[in-house]
Amino acid sequence: MLAASPTTLPLFLALSGCKGPAVLSAPPTVSAQTQTLLHAVTAEQNLIWIYNKAIAAYSGLAPTLAPLRAEHEAHLAQLRARVIEPPGKQVPATVTAKPALGPTGAAALAQLRAAEQAAVSTLMTRLDGASPSLAQLYASIAASEATHVSVLAARIGAR
Amino acid sequence: MSASSASVAALQGALAAEHAAVYGYGVVGAMLAGSEQADAHADWTAHQVARDTLEAMLTKLGATPVAASPAYALPFAVTSAKTATRLAATLEEGVTRAYLGLVAVSNPTLRAFAAKAMQASANRALAWSGSTVAFPGMPA
Repeated sequence: MLAASPTTLPLFLALSGCKGPAVLSAPPTVSAQTQTLLHAVTAEQNLIWIYNKAIAAYSGLAPTLAPLRAEHEAHLAQLRARVIEPPGKQVPATVTAKPALGPTGAAALAQLRAAEQAAVSTLMTRLDGASPSLAQLYASIAASEATHVSVLAARIGAR
Repeated sequence: MSASSASVAALQGALAAEHAAVYGYGVVGAMLAGSEQADAHADWTAHQVARDTLEAMLTKLGATPVAASPAYALPFAVTSAKTATRLAATLEEGVTRAYLGLVAVSNPTLRAFAAKAMQASANRALAWSGSTVAFPGMPA
């Protein structure tokens, strides 16, 4: 029996005059709110990635950085739990930004502080149009990350 | 509840929390000295400014701002600098919770205002408690 392959299926469709398998529908779409939520998930994954790199490279910073990373992991878990559409959709686990880590501990701290500040600013832009409960989650995470900026700034000042 | 009445209710909640913070920082400051007292004074002033801002916002919406109570029950006895700093952190957590309620309204200007206020109060809570939390304002 001939199995359909990427090359044989279009040929079969052309020969049969069929416009396409009607049983296939358009890929499921997600709302703008879910798109924003998925971006927030990715942003947290990116932050966790850079924290992992910094802790691995500068173990002396681990007492400061590990608790902040743990909070990002909690943020990520909450954000991922809010992705409910389309049913069965895999929430992406891809890190989309892998910047080079600062060449010193101080540079890495400054880099993390800038990343946290940028994350706060981005979360503020996500508030408009979000459902009330999602807006509250974004605002709470932004407040948490604003405190991370302060912790990192204090650590930079103490060096 | 209409969007406008929901906004007023949430603003009143934030104002009530600011009233409590203004009162509470009076207690906190009385138990502290030196730089800690100066910090408490700065935070007390910040809460007075926030209170006045919220009152103005409510008045603009045609609502009568909720008044401060003559006194507030403290959540625990404040008898030392240590318990005073704990009270300051507790006050900030209460303010953060109140602003989280305001974030839930549909008005985008109020949402942004409340989210910024949460960042300020979460940072003050950090300054007093020395520790961060993953979800400021959210139920533990």
